[in-house]
Formats: sequence, C-alpha cells, structure tokens
Amino acid sequence: MNEFITVYSAEIMRRLRSRIFIVGILIGAVGIGALIKLPVYMDSLVGQANRVALAGDAALISQAAPLLRKDYHVVRTIPGKTAVLASDLSDANKISAIIVLRRSGHNVNVIVYARDPGNISVSSLRRDLLPISLQIATGLSRTDLGRAMKVPVTVRAINSKFGTAAQANDARIIAYIMLFSLYILIMINSQLIMSSVAEEKTSRIAEMLVASVNPSALLSGKIAASATLAVIQMIIWIAIGFLLGAHPGAPAALEAADSSRATTFSLSSVSSADLAGFAAFFLLGYLQVSTMFAAVGSLVNRTEDLGALAGPLVIPIVAAFLIAMTALAAPDTPVVIITSFVPLIAPFVMFARIVVSDVPAWQVMLSLAINIAATWGIAVLAGKIYRVGMLLYGRPPKLAQIWSVIRS
Amino acid sequence: MRAVRDVSFSIEAGSTFGLLGPNGAGKTTTMRMIVGIYMPDGGSIAWKGAPIDARIRRRFGYLPEERGLYGRMKVREQIAYFGRLHGLVEPDVTARTQRWIDNLELNEYVDRPCGELSKGNQQKVQIACAAVHNPELLVLDEPFTGLDPVNADMLLATLRDLQQNGTTLVLSSHQMWQLEQLCDRFCIITNGENRVSGTLAQLRAAWTTRVIRIEPGGEAVRRVLQTVAGGHPLPSDDGALLYEVPANTELPLILRDLVAVESVTRFEAIEPSLHDIYVRTIEGAA
Repeated sequence: MNEFITVYSAEIMRRLRSRIFIVGILIGAVGIGALIKLPVYMDSLVGQANRVALAGDAALISQAAPLLRKDYHVVRTIPGKTAVLASDLSDANKISAIIVLRRSGHNVNVIVYARDPGNISVSSLRRDLLPISLQIATGLSRTDLGRAMKVPVTVRAINSKFGTAAQANDARIIAYIMLFSLYILIMINSQLIMSSVAEEKTSRIAEMLVASVNPSALLSGKIAASATLAVIQMIIWIAIGFLLGAHPGAPAALEAADSSRATTFSLSSVSSADLAGFAAFFLLGYLQVSTMFAAVGSLVNRTEDLGALAGPLVIPIVAAFLIAMTALAAPDTPVVIITSFVPLIAPFVMFARIVVSDVPAWQVMLSLAINIAATWGIAVLAGKIYRVGMLLYGRPPKLAQIWSVIRS
Repeated sequence: MRAVRDVSFSIEAGSTFGLLGPNGAGKTTTMRMIVGIYMPDGGSIAWKGAPIDARIRRRFGYLPEERGLYGRMKVREQIAYFGRLHGLVEPDVTARTQRWIDNLELNEYVDRPCGELSKGNQQKVQIACAAVHNPELLVLDEPFTGLDPVNADMLLATLRDLQQNGTTLVLSSHQMWQLEQLCDRFCIITNGENRVSGTLAQLRAAWTTRVIRIEPGGEAVRRVLQTVAGGHPLPSDDGALLYEVPANTELPLILRDLVAVESVTRFEAIEPSLHDIYVRTIEGAA
C-alpha cells in the first residue's frame, strides 16, 4: 500500500508541475466555453449579415418591424422611401438590405434590395409578414388576428423522464458537455499515461523501478494519479461549462424549436442519479482505456513509435463518442442499446442513454457488471504486458509474443 | 532461450561477492532474479534462509547495467523518491538523501534536473538511488562502467563504507582489479552455468599450474627448467624468464638446482591473478 501511495503522490506532483497539465486544463476550458458560447457568437455574425432597413409605407413599417425581429436586425426605418439606390447600401451604413413595404390592393407588396441576395430568405420573410397580409385581406383587428393565429398545442410526456421538451433539450445539452469532457479527458490523459510509461522505459529507469516496487503498484499508482487529476480537470471544466451556460432551476430557457441557438440551460434537468451514473461510467471508461494505453506504452522502444501503436486504440473511443452522440438523439435504437453493454463503448453510450431516457435499472446494472468485469480483465492483461514490456528492449514484440505473455 | 541453466552459490551476510563472466553468460539475468525482476522457472533463491518475497525485496538495492533516471526530476527529489519506494519515511528520507548527496559530492547539482547532468554524475545519482535506504543486499551490475578514474575511486570508497556498515554486496564487473580489491568470494559463470566459485585463495589453490619468474634467465637456467616435468616457458618482454610448472612442483628443489648452475638474483612464484583465473576459466569453457 505504501508503494502505491508513494507512486501515486509522486505521479500527482510530477503531473501538477508539468506544463502539459496546466495547458490541458486551459485548452479544455476554452473548448467548453467555445461549445457554449459559439452559437451566440455565430448568431451575432449572422445578425450582422441580417442588418436591414425598412422603407415604404409608414404604417406597414411599424407593423412589420416587430414581426421581422425574429429573423432580421432592423437598424433603420425610412418611411416614404420607395426608390432605392446603390449608395443606400454603402459600407458606411452597414446595412445588408433595404426592405420596401407597400400596399397593393388587398395585399402587401415587398421588394428587397440586398447586397447579397443569398442572405435573404424569401420563405422567412413570407412567414414573418403573413399576419400583415392576412390582416389586410380579412380586415380583422390585430388582436383578433393574433388570437386566431395562435393554435393551442400542448405536449404531454408519456413514458418520458422529462416533463417538457425544454427539459429534455437541457438534458441533452448537459449530456453533450459531459460526453465531450469525458472524451477529451480520456484521450488526453490516457495518452499522457502512455507517454509516462514509455518515458520510463526509454529512459531505462524501468529496471530500477520494477526492482524497487511491485509493477502492479507502479501501474495502478500511475493510473490512479492520472484518474484523480482527470477528475479535477473534469470538475473544473464542468464548473466552467455551468458558469457560462447554466441558469438555476426551471423553467428552462430554451424552446425546443430554438435549440440550435442554445446558450443557457437548466441544471434541474439532470438528476443526482444521472450524475452518479456519469461518475461510475466515467471511472470505468477511464480505467479501461488508460490501462490499455499504459500497456501499449510499455511495448515501445522509442517515443516516436507511440503514435503508431496508439492509433488502433483510439478507434473504439472515437466510435463510442459517435454512437453516444446518436444515443442523445435516439436513445432506444437497437445499435445504441446493444453497444451500451460493450466494454470501452458502454461508458459513453450508457451514460448518454441514462441522461436522455428512462433506462431500465437491470440494464444499467448489467452494463455496470459487464464493464467492471471487463475493467478487471483489461487490468490483469495490461499488468502482464506491462511487467514484461517494460524490460523488453530491441525489436518491438510481435502479436504472437504478446499473446504468449498474456497466456503465461 | 534459457539464459541461466545451472547457477548455484551462497553469499555470506556482510560479504562482497563478485559475479564474473563474459557478455551473455547470464550475470544480469541472475542478478535480476535475485532482486525479483525475473522469476526463475526452476530452482530457488533465498535470503537468510527464507524465500525472497516483496517485503524482503524492499530491503534490497539494485543498480542495473542499463542506467536511467527521470530526466526532468531534480537530483534530490529523485534520490528521495527511491528512498520512499523502499519504505523510508520522513525525517529519515531527507537525512539519508542528504548523506548520499554529501558522500557522492553531488551538492552543487541537487536542484538541477537529472537530465542536465553529465553521465558520470547521473551514475552517481543512480548509485545513491540504489543505496539510499541502506539496503541489506546491494546488487550492482557493472557499477564502474562509464566512471572516470576519480569517480571510480570514489565509488570504490563508497562501496567499502557500505561493506563496513554490514551491507552485503553482489557485483559484476569487467574491471578485475577492482573486483579483486573488493570481493571476498567470486563465481565465474559462462553459458548460464557455474564454472568455478570460492574465495580468491580457493580459486588459486584450484589452479593447476604456477608461474615462476627467474632473473637472469640464461641458458643454464633454461636447461635446468627443461628437466621439470610438465613445465614450459611463457613469453616475456622484459628479459626475465617466465616458466609455467605444475602446481605440485617442489619449488625449493628447483631453486636449489638453479642456484647451483647460475647466480640467480630473482626467483619468484607468481600467484595467478583473478584476471588469469577468469581468462583460463573462460578459455576452458569455450
């Protein structure tokens, strides 16, 4: 136990002092921030492209301005102007289009003078201005028309863990942030463990180490230290994510229809059971991947070979991430359900299922049991490979040799 | 491939044992088995009568032939880390680390990363790492390789200090004179098998011939020596006559005959050195 603690604390100190750890936290924080704030920024860019002026009939302008705000940024009104010149769309006034509104019999006539017609959506203009057209055609008051156009729709959840579409959407956003963090953490930290093991081997300190400490204690101390730091990183990133994106309690800020512009979400959509599930699957996924990477690190003779050996290990993790993304949208499809039991993939997929759907308890327990057993199996195999690999110099071992080591 | 087939020896507690053999003889494998890196698939290794387990192994120290350190870890931290791995706790670990830093004159490098040190100084750090916990048994695989004469003398002195403090030492080296100075007992192995073992006196006693050096080595002297059964001259480059005779030859009788025919100024029976014994053993095994 003392050996484990010594290796564990030394690894923690080494990693805390390394620039890679600090830079990793900063890059992750920037990534999380970007994920949350990018839609806002992109919207602002789109908003700049949609700066328009309204011209023509003054009464129509006053009616149209609030209706168009959903899709356009109305920066100027020019009542009475119907003739538009190229100079009106100069760079100086930063207007991308001038929308001229005129009455035409029992309808409204709209002409758009645009710097880039591709920025103007005719269908959205028709949708936005439809109430004006209907009001002119029917003679109804604005209030009556508004009432007539508002069709009452209620969504009632059946067999769903969420009461509203907004809550479900919030849960998806939170799950997405967590899955992204899980993916980045596993990828970064597992490769760090692999580099650390490879460094010990290539620097030839391995022989002194395994003579001083049980290789199992050495390997487990390294992985535990790395897992601890990964959890710290994860907490920092999630805290940043929530600080940037969350607002406390329901009701959720997002309408389902507007989910593409999500910038805030409610924490109440994710239960403490979801978080416990995340913690359990995070730990299992982390241990499975990191022990595999550590074993591979012990097989290389040159750090330059790490990339080639790590490549095949990355494939199941990328696959798991992609399937988990699918699981967020369609948690009950057969592929998603089956892969939520498969080691290496389940930690991502089962977590996604738990957050966005009601997974039967037996499935969660079975997946946990399978993955605990798989983690144990991977640790035993990795330990054997590690013990031999650390002292194996010269040509990299062939698969048959690795297999004979595992069998022994 | 079987690296060690039939190696058997015992080491007295507190003694210094030299393990000799050509490259590929199985020395490193034997040492790795002693410190528990490799598990023998046959036979046994015991320490003070008990099989070596993890608890006993923690009281051992090992300096492998392939040297290595954490390049970015500072000298002091590195030595202390290995002390902790072997079970030292504060304030012992700090005190012993400092003692080794003083012993090996590493004070000016203590706060520098090991990767920035010269090879010789890195080797001194490794020796400190291997011995910081005052091991009961210290196994050193080629400890003098890469050291300049001054540092080699410093290591020799350090190992003598350890000897005096009761540490049992097992060494391998190709520097025979250093082993001859340090070791109480030796074992020469080739192809993974014991060839000879024992104290230097025992190895010499088992030597089947003796070399005598006679000055001057004139014709009359040669004629006398030709009467010795089993004797033959050896090449010499300093004018003296070197003659190898069977170990059971009565040297006083030869001296008497020589003095009778020539005014001999020097008659010396040369004991075989460890180097001679080693070379003869290896040649005999080939």
